[in-house]
Amino acid sequence: MSDATVFIVDDDQAVARSLRWLIETVRLQVETFASAQDFLDGYDPSKPGCLVLDVRMPGMSGLELQERLAARRSYHVPIIFITGHGDVQMAVRAVQAGAFDFVEKPFNDQDLLDRIQRAIAHDAGQRGREEQRSQLRALFAALTPREREVLDLVVEGLSNKAVANALGLSAKTVEVHRAKVMEKMHARSISDLVKLAMQNQAA
Amino acid sequence: MMTGSDALLLGLVVLGGAVVVLLIALAVLLLRLREAGARLRDKEGEQQGVLDQLLENENRLRAIIESEPECVKLQAADGTVLEINPAGLRLVDAERPEDIIGKPIYSVVANEYQEIYRDNMRRVFAGEAVVYEFKSVTLKGRTCWMETHAVPLRDARGAIHALLGITRDITEHKWAEEQGRRHQTELARVARLSTMGEMATGLAHELNQPLAAIANYARGCIRRLRAGDIDGAALIEPLEEVCEQAERAGEILRHVRDFVRKSEPRMTAVDLNQVVRGVVKFTELEARQHETVVTLQLAPGQPRVWADSIMVEQVICNLVRNAVEAMAETHSLRREIVIRTLPHGEDMVEVEVVDTGPGIDGAVIDQVFDQFFTTKQEGVGMGLSISRSIVESHGGRIRAESRAGGGATFRFTLQRIPTLLRRDERRHSFHS
Repeated sequence: MSDATVFIVDDDQAVARSLRWLIETVRLQVETFASAQDFLDGYDPSKPGCLVLDVRMPGMSGLELQERLAARRSYHVPIIFITGHGDVQMAVRAVQAGAFDFVEKPFNDQDLLDRIQRAIAHDAGQRGREEQRSQLRALFAALTPREREVLDLVVEGLSNKAVANALGLSAKTVEVHRAKVMEKMHARSISDLVKLAMQNQAA
Repeated sequence: MMTGSDALLLGLVVLGGAVVVLLIALAVLLLRLREAGARLRDKEGEQQGVLDQLLENENRLRAIIESEPECVKLQAADGTVLEINPAGLRLVDAERPEDIIGKPIYSVVANEYQEIYRDNMRRVFAGEAVVYEFKSVTLKGRTCWMETHAVPLRDARGAIHALLGITRDITEHKWAEEQGRRHQTELARVARLSTMGEMATGLAHELNQPLAAIANYARGCIRRLRAGDIDGAALIEPLEEVCEQAERAGEILRHVRDFVRKSEPRMTAVDLNQVVRGVVKFTELEARQHETVVTLQLAPGQPRVWADSIMVEQVICNLVRNAVEAMAETHSLRREIVIRTLPHGEDMVEVEVVDTGPGIDGAVIDQVFDQFFTTKQEGVGMGLSISRSIVESHGGRIRAESRAGGGATFRFTLQRIPTLLRRDERRHSFHS
């Protein structure tokens, strides 16, 4: 987990630097940004980790940054909001809009570090699933249109003969396509194939 | 020479003449009497006609008045109720007319309005038409608000012999009015609180920043020291940051202090009597609600002081409210507040607020001006403390006394602006 990065966005540089000093004690990478715009411009989405974001900032607020990230429609790191005293309503809005968590200033150091660790674990899980999904997409993408047709009917439970009838092919040809599909999908059995097809549908 | 028979004849003639004259005179008299009698009879008839007309008119008026939905009453100069219509009986909760007719009207006027009522009665009997409001406590003890339109009623010679009053119940109207006023007060209070709240929120956010930074640096240092993976020199930089942030917090507080200092009193020449009258106006409602009579005994002329009128108003207001509440909470029988302005030494003026409440316990009298000291159930103990700082910022002093027979007296002094008075005025001013 030590390859995870904590991105800190806070207009108050003293607070941002102090957070770096604190978070580095648990051997995490820290990158600080002085504004929401700086983050949007300089952030590498491929880096795992989490974002620690101040709700109140001049210019683009933390909530706006969250909206902009959501509008990109690509995966982004989980966000932990830091709210001031009396900003609970803002925090609730942020969580409703998909934020991972929030901490209220002044916060306990251990509490913040625990939340950061949970966010990073969540990010790792998301990234793992995202990886699986893209692998799955790659497997399906490797099939020819005909192979895809055969696969769809096979997972519906049709016999080779029924598939052959449905597609107007010979049973022999269906047999060949089917073997090819099994090979390309790294499936050892029909049930493997059904599982992969279901995962693909869910993704 | 007349003969005896001549004399007799003459005598007869004379006698006869006299009888005729007498007869004529009698006849004339009779005639006159008959005429007079006839005239008298005519006049009686005429009078009867007028009386009948009057009776008819009275009956008609009476019917109108009896069915009038508002209270119509006649009162004598001493307040005795002479006549009252059924609506009036209902208004004062009288079951029979004799419950109120022949009795003084003051029996249904609330204590604190007796004087006002008497004043208005006097004005009517002096010939004025007046409209006045007063609080009434009916024969059954029900409290309500009344409005009376009263005019003098004159006899044939123009002398005022009664007051004709038309009175209606304005309790609901009054209630709505008071609700409105209470709502206003509440709004003002909320507005003030929210301004203070906003300021506090802003300040909290400002201070949170350096405090959060300090905590983060300190925690980071502790964690590294606990883990034993840092040498002392590496701690210098974060500790310097800690100091910097502590200074930053101090700077923020300095700003707040400057801000507060900016709202220092705005001093002008103020007519102290006018300030007192102003306070009475906006504490009137509260005083009435608690059946408290406020009396003013103001120094003659215009005792002028160098002061922030709003702040002085606030002090007097505080003292009056405290007095009203103290008397209400302890159910004092006589509820009276006297506000005096009077000279104090050469160059000061004193304001005195005297009540008839329970007074102040000798054990705590020295603490009443302390912050957070309160005897009220819902008090926060800021009023008198703020009052003291206001008075002292004006170069005056404030004191509290508890009188032996009950009642508390609060007095404070303010610096008087010396005025150039003529010799005779100087003699009279403040000493009449």
